[in-house]
Amino acid sequence: RMEASCLELALEGERLCKAGDCRAGVSFFEAAVQVGTEDLRTLSAIYSQLGNAYFYLHEYAKALEYHHHDLTLARTIGDLLGEAKASGNLGNTLKVLGNFEEAIVCCQRHLDISRELNDKVGEARALYNLGNVYHSKGKNVASAGTHDPGELPDDVKSALQKAANYYEENLTIVTELGDRAAQGRAFGNLGNTHYLLGNFRSAVLAHEQRLLIAKEFGDRSAERRAYSNLGNAYIFLGEFETASEYYKRTLQLARQLKDRAVEAQACYSLGNTYTLLQDYEKAIDYHLKHLVIAQELNDKIGEGRACWSLGNAYTALGNHDQAIHFAERHLEISREVGDRSGELTARLNLSDLQMVLGLSYSTNNSMMSESHVVENSLNGTRPRAGRRHSMENMELMKLTPEKVQNWN
Amino acid sequence: SQPLAGHQAAELQSKVVPSKQILHSDNMEMEPETMETKSVTDYFSKLHMGSLVYSCTSKRKTK
Repeated sequence: RMEASCLELALEGERLCKAGDCRAGVSFFEAAVQVGTEDLRTLSAIYSQLGNAYFYLHEYAKALEYHHHDLTLARTIGDLLGEAKASGNLGNTLKVLGNFEEAIVCCQRHLDISRELNDKVGEARALYNLGNVYHSKGKNVASAGTHDPGELPDDVKSALQKAANYYEENLTIVTELGDRAAQGRAFGNLGNTHYLLGNFRSAVLAHEQRLLIAKEFGDRSAERRAYSNLGNAYIFLGEFETASEYYKRTLQLARQLKDRAVEAQACYSLGNTYTLLQDYEKAIDYHLKHLVIAQELNDKIGEGRACWSLGNAYTALGNHDQAIHFAERHLEISREVGDRSGELTARLNLSDLQMVLGLSYSTNNSMMSESHVVENSLNGTRPRAGRRHSMENMELMKLTPEKVQNWN
Repeated sequence: SQPLAGHQAAELQSKVVPSKQILHSDNMEMEPETMETKSVTDYFSKLHMGSLVYSCTSKRKTK
């Protein structure tokens, strides 16, 4: 009677998770665990699904706990395939938590067992996971430094090169298996790895393949991702017109998919691209669109970036009133979010602008009059050349593609 | 001081927005992770295959 009840609860949990309601699924699985079962294979399946549900809910500590239980159990009952799966899931979770070394051990275990069992599908999946761990590892170290893509320390380069090799190995197998969806995923991440390595032509080739497969499947989210990644690669190839075309496709799809955050990102990219093309009117147009959405989503950091960009674009057009307006807003927001380097940049912009406008700009403005005090307290007394240098460093840092958030 | 301001404006304009001065937050868009899945029904169906097959065939026989 108790056995049936645990099973019933677990089945309902499975149904709910498949329907996309992981939160409700979790409570059924946890109820099933409470009831308990002596059937360790059933329990292993429950732990595994609980781990995955928590993973999708971004509760990684819980995911780690349950995948760990599953691994222990699979080993206890000598279920080799079950152990491989638990190892893979544990590896993915450790990766998200930033524990790359342990993640590699787990994913390698998944790979070894899959090969031992001659399980080609499992082998390919383990290779993809390993690629992802090395990619994250490389990106994590890279984002701590101040590098453009392609200008990387050796440890970062070697991690990214390993990622590329694992994706290539994965591609060989999934191509043999005729698994187009898996090919699409591997091409996408391979493209991003080449991008970080500074192989922008190879990145374009991979993302073009990704785009092709996304279209085959009518997968518009994947299509949008491919456009966005292609845009990024063309920026670094110096082909800004082409980049702008891809960003426009991204924007179009973001609007169709009603994803405001992605729409904002596309507008921001377009604003930057038109700045590079020195078409400041269009740049302003897109940065304003980005600003509106950032405000709507209460994204202060995005709003600050928009103001910074708008300040620059208006300065370039010689519209100093608007430039000062946005530089002041940038300063306000930088203070609000505690962005010290942003605050400093805003102050420097304002003092530059003040110098240009010189006498005409009011000197009793509180923000302006205290600016030199804060500058001194931040840096001590520094020559002008030093200021410029520190600004450039900050800009280089911001240029590095940022850590991917956990939204994917 | 008008020509001086003009000169400064021109100087500023040329300094503003060099290509590196762009806050490039180009989010790299990664593909989703793949998780390995287990199901209680995988094992359940194997476990009860015998009795299910039996009940099906016996139902057929009774028809």
